[in-house]
Amino acid sequence: MKIDTILSKYEPKSENLIQILHDIQDHTEGNYLKEEDLEKVADYLKIPKSRVNGVVEFYSMFSKKPRGKYVIRLCKSPPCFVKGAFNMLDELKSQLEIDVNETTKDGLFTIETTSCLGVCDEAPVMSINNKIYGKLDSAKIKKIIENYRKGKSEI
Amino acid sequence: MNKMVKITIDGKTIDAEEGANLLQVARDNGFDIPGLCYYDKVSPTGACRLCLVKIKEQKGLIPSCTVKVSEGLNVTAFDEELEDVRRTIVELLISEHKLGCMTCDTASECALEDLAYRYNVTVDNLPFPVKTKYESIDDSSPVLAYDPNKCIVCGRCVKACYEIQGKGIIDFIGRGIETKIAPDLGVDWKNSACDGCGECIQACPVGALFEIPSVGKARKWEVEKIETICPYCGVGCRIEVEKKDNEIVRINGVDDGPANNGRLCVKGRFGYEYEMSNKRLRTPLIKENGKFREASWDEALTLTARKFSEIKKNYGGNSIAGLSSARCTNEENYIFQKFMRAVIGTNNVDHCARLCHASTVAGLARAFGSGAMTNSIRELEFADCILVTGSNTTETHPVIATYIKNAVLNHGAKLIVADPRKIDLVKYATLWLRQKNGTDVAWLNGIMNVILNENLHDKEFIKNRTEGFDEFRMVVENYTPERVEKITGVPKEKIIEAARIYGTAKNASIVFSMGITQHTTGTDNVLSTANLALLTGNVGKLYSGVNPLRGQNNVQGACDLGALPNVYSGYQKVTDPDIKKKFEEKWKVALDDKVGLSVVEMMNEAHKGNVKAMYIMGENPMVSDPNLNHVEEALKNLDFLVVQDIFLTETAQLADVVFPAYSSFEKSGTFTNTERRIQLLNPVLKAPEGAKEDWEIVQELALKMGYEMQYNNQSDIMEEIADVTPIYGGIHFYRLGKDGLQWPCKDENDPGTLFLHKGKFSRGLGHFSPVDYIPPAELPDKEYPYILSTGRILYHYHTGTMSRKVSVLNEYEPGPYAEISPELAAKLNLKDGEEVRITSRRGAIVTKARITARVAPDSVFIPFHFAEAAANRLTNDALDPIAKIPELKVAACKVEKM
Amino acid sequence: MKNEAKYENKIVLSNVGNIDPTNINDYIETRGYEAAKKIVSNEYTPLNVIDIIKNSGLRGRGGAGFPTGAKWEFTAKEKADKKFIVCNADEGEPGTFKDRLILEGDPHRILEGMIIAGYAVGAQKGFIYIRGEYSTAIERITNAIKDAYEKHYLGNSILGSSFNFDIEIKKGAGSYVCGEETSLIESIEGKRGNPRIKPPYPGQKGLWNYPTVVNNVETIANVAPILLNGADWFKSFGTEKSPGTKIFTLIGNVKNPGVVELPFGITLREIIFGFGGGISNDRKLKAIHLGGASGAVYDGSILDVPLDYDALKEKEGMLGSGAVLVMDEETDMRKYLKNVLEFFKHESCGQCVPCRIGTARLCEMADDIIEKGGKEVNIEYMKHLTDVMFKSSLCPLGQSVIMPVKSIFKYFNNEF
Repeated sequence: MKIDTILSKYEPKSENLIQILHDIQDHTEGNYLKEEDLEKVADYLKIPKSRVNGVVEFYSMFSKKPRGKYVIRLCKSPPCFVKGAFNMLDELKSQLEIDVNETTKDGLFTIETTSCLGVCDEAPVMSINNKIYGKLDSAKIKKIIENYRKGKSEI
Repeated sequence: MNKMVKITIDGKTIDAEEGANLLQVARDNGFDIPGLCYYDKVSPTGACRLCLVKIKEQKGLIPSCTVKVSEGLNVTAFDEELEDVRRTIVELLISEHKLGCMTCDTASECALEDLAYRYNVTVDNLPFPVKTKYESIDDSSPVLAYDPNKCIVCGRCVKACYEIQGKGIIDFIGRGIETKIAPDLGVDWKNSACDGCGECIQACPVGALFEIPSVGKARKWEVEKIETICPYCGVGCRIEVEKKDNEIVRINGVDDGPANNGRLCVKGRFGYEYEMSNKRLRTPLIKENGKFREASWDEALTLTARKFSEIKKNYGGNSIAGLSSARCTNEENYIFQKFMRAVIGTNNVDHCARLCHASTVAGLARAFGSGAMTNSIRELEFADCILVTGSNTTETHPVIATYIKNAVLNHGAKLIVADPRKIDLVKYATLWLRQKNGTDVAWLNGIMNVILNENLHDKEFIKNRTEGFDEFRMVVENYTPERVEKITGVPKEKIIEAARIYGTAKNASIVFSMGITQHTTGTDNVLSTANLALLTGNVGKLYSGVNPLRGQNNVQGACDLGALPNVYSGYQKVTDPDIKKKFEEKWKVALDDKVGLSVVEMMNEAHKGNVKAMYIMGENPMVSDPNLNHVEEALKNLDFLVVQDIFLTETAQLADVVFPAYSSFEKSGTFTNTERRIQLLNPVLKAPEGAKEDWEIVQELALKMGYEMQYNNQSDIMEEIADVTPIYGGIHFYRLGKDGLQWPCKDENDPGTLFLHKGKFSRGLGHFSPVDYIPPAELPDKEYPYILSTGRILYHYHTGTMSRKVSVLNEYEPGPYAEISPELAAKLNLKDGEEVRITSRRGAIVTKARITARVAPDSVFIPFHFAEAAANRLTNDALDPIAKIPELKVAACKVEKM
Repeated sequence: MKNEAKYENKIVLSNVGNIDPTNINDYIETRGYEAAKKIVSNEYTPLNVIDIIKNSGLRGRGGAGFPTGAKWEFTAKEKADKKFIVCNADEGEPGTFKDRLILEGDPHRILEGMIIAGYAVGAQKGFIYIRGEYSTAIERITNAIKDAYEKHYLGNSILGSSFNFDIEIKKGAGSYVCGEETSLIESIEGKRGNPRIKPPYPGQKGLWNYPTVVNNVETIANVAPILLNGADWFKSFGTEKSPGTKIFTLIGNVKNPGVVELPFGITLREIIFGFGGGISNDRKLKAIHLGGASGAVYDGSILDVPLDYDALKEKEGMLGSGAVLVMDEETDMRKYLKNVLEFFKHESCGQCVPCRIGTARLCEMADDIIEKGGKEVNIEYMKHLTDVMFKSSLCPLGQSVIMPVKSIFKYFNNEF
């Protein structure tokens, strides 16, 4: 979707900033916010660019760097920690051969860590884009990644 | 003032104003409560948590900077617990702060350093290991650098940039411990819209934001601080100059400066390098065989006196003309016009106000009786509606623009901008009218037509305070929004909306500048703005009025003091026999009663050979005047040209004799700013050896010519001014202090005048003038199809004599360019930065194209500061018949790709 | 979860799992919108509504336990051109997912509660601020709002009355501190989620400085049932000072993790060993982190304390969001401390000094404990620092670090 089409869905009020940023990011290949788009948002809402940037920088779901097609967010909050989340992080890193906040060479995966996803009864938990995967163990992670590689997001 | 209440701090009873800031009150009463994020010029943040206090019957510790004083507050400012909290907070801050105090330019004036000392906190005695990682400093801006390692994230800069300067360039980035500040989208300072005003530096309590040009020049304790007035524009900002030896180290805005309230622009803060330039004139020069040679003062003065006397004797006093200076002091302007009138015997004295606001003086004098800003600068912040037209305030009067932005951003005022260019203020505007150049009378009449039709005019005011309404109404009735749309290109809906916004505002203020005045219809334009204010009763009261923004630091004063061909000081007419008699008695000489020549007329007469000699003090017509080819021929045609200046300007290079003068950093005397405020200068630096103050040069010349002139200093001159000039009647140096005085100030007891025409206009009744639209003198045609207009930019000043000798300003804007619309660029197959030749009927220049949608598709805008591609080689010297101001804002031109 | 039926008393979750949340008629069939209809058609004055809520003793379920009726009354008394109701659905407290279940499973319950709140305080506009990660909840609420507008349950002259009420959804974007009411307000306004200084409280100056009631999802979910069944009915659940039920989320090393709605006064022993079936892998209980990351961490000595808002205050902790995170004997409390502190450091907004720098320094010191051992680190200073943060931080985030840190040092002292 073109940026102007997205903007036209919202009234040019600064309160819509976060909603607009979500919308743009969701419709941008690479799951991120481009500089030129942020400039357009600032112009459209008649607010300083620095304010747009400050908001992007504050919220962890926004990124100014291109990310993979699939953004993996592994929860590292206490409930998942108790259930071994950091072992799962090592598992992800070694399987994808990247570190946190990096993207695989094929552009498919980015690993991020996140605070609680609110699915703690299934800890440890991660989300890939908007889909939740719980009760993780090494084998399950391997399977999930394999399936995504094959283009299947369901397991 | 609010009512006074009693509060208690640590057992001491204190009288304080209700609603006042508790921290401020405590500090004012000797309770030195620490605090880093509190900055009295912005809204309280309450984030550093150092100013926490206890308040009886309130829960927890409360940041005193966020508390408003109310009756009976019982405050504990200091106890063991509070001090323990404060000490811990200081420990935390020190653990995150790069202790580069040894090389820090803020050292000894650093708020954190003071607290570390007070609480005895050093890195070595912290109860935890410090694991600081260093981030790189952003020093990409020409003027300021940001060291994130020193940043304490207090947010003062963020608020200063938005709440004071109205820019919002800086905001926080990151979150938690990663929180820092960054400009725009966070790339770097160079690529941001930061214009270098440095308000953030002034707000920074530590050394995180600092001036690049000052680095390494002096430790804070080595500098001497002297307050004076900024040498650049007509705002008249009060500055504090830090100097070491005879060099300027740094300039700050003075917090209680009456016009600027601590604010400055990039020129005011950073534009001082010219002062130390080795190109300053240090000795008189005499031209022989086309080349200058150094000469003694005596020789140069004697030669000049002899030449002037000869020419006066052979051709009469009116064969000599003088240009006084809007850059010089009031006293010097007074002396100069006195010299021309009393010694030379002519009223041929004028100055560059002719080129900027002659029509303002003429128009507002006719409508109200006084040709100056009706209100004070800082009243603008509190107007409900501000109509800005023909003023790119952000660039020409940057500090005034901040008050307009404050009105919009902090107080919800409505801003209407009428300007052919999409100037910066458009971003802040509720409504932007993009009129065709030179159609101002039409759209103003259109707005008034709607106001009358919708019954929004102030009938009481019109009845009691004005005259000429019926004749005026008949003319305005013809300007229906439909017709106005055809003339101006402004959609009729916008005319109607503008009328409603302005017409219903409680306090509406009109701000205008050269976009209104520099037209052959300049006086008509000004009269139209006056009509609008009279129609709605928006004049003669606080926050409402008609406010022409004067350009140069002392252009208001130069006009006030009679550097004009038709009036003596205080706008007393040369044609009035009583006035003439008064001055003849005072000056002990017979005076001419004919109005003298104006700037452009002087050049024309010089061209024709009727003016034989000219005396130019601190002006540079070879860049500033219209139709420069003609000016050059005229000046070369003179028998004798004398120029006195601080540099060998383009004009001085044509002179026969050049006198080296003092700059305003070296002078005493007074400037009158655009709000009619007479302010005292302080000499900050020692002038170059060999130079003299302008008034002294004029006085010595007068003496050489046999006229008795014996002033000891500028204060002496002001005493005479006060004696002969009713509006300056109460002005004496000893009364001026830090705040100065605003004229009219009639006598010793007069506190001066905040806004004009209260209860009664200077001329009695406000005068409506019926004004019809007349097109500009030169319109585009087949051969010259585009509209050319000229103006100023933020980073340079007037003819560039000062600003172009400042390397940081040159870094922002190194040279000439022309703004060209994307549409025109496409037509010419032109890329940004490519060279173009721009030609008018009077000349041609080659310059760089800057492609921008700021200009209308069929228009070109050229800043006039750059002699090497002088816009004024192209401009039209057609004159307004009343004010004799040339039409610098509209000419026809053609554009070719090189 | 075979023990569920034995323990549960459902008010808030009565519909969850039993109706089709995507079908407004399913909700209506469970007497949905009946309370709202009765109220807005002027059968009750706003004052009546506030009285009923006050009488019911309903307290805020977001964690602080502030009486809801008093909050409403405060805003109802404010004179202003506009007022707002905000539903705080920014459920970010680690270990907590009760609000998500309500939003996903019974969205109209929230809309109805907001309508009633709006009528009571004189607001005509409501916002639901949902954390951006809750995509299913966002979808369900978005559709529920749409369906409610179609039935004229929202908009102008709703439910056949002259009352106007609109609801708009605002998505968060990943920030725990936005669960704090003033940060949440900033975020709705499209800003960084930096909390504001209080006072003024949102009830006086909230969204765009208009009086604003901010209520948690679970709180709002109680509103319609209370008005339908009366304050006395509500008070028949729970304890005297904490009437009603509380949703607990039982997680960590337990056999049957999950969510359960129980009356106040229940003990952790009943929750963990009854509903939860005990510790998984038949290990021993070591620690319970109660109320989310900002709550206290206890050992088994807490098991028999009847849970309500006030009882835990004496134990230097809080019921908070109702999260019960159970840790078995294998848990390394030094590493757990570090993990909790990392959470706070990551979520600190960065505005005030004690929280911004304090959380970072505490993390580093916790790191040093793991690396070098507790003897090498000034643990007394860590406690002192949390004390200072409690006293001086701008918002509850920095203020609450003291609870997990001090309780871990207290109950698990031998590990440091």
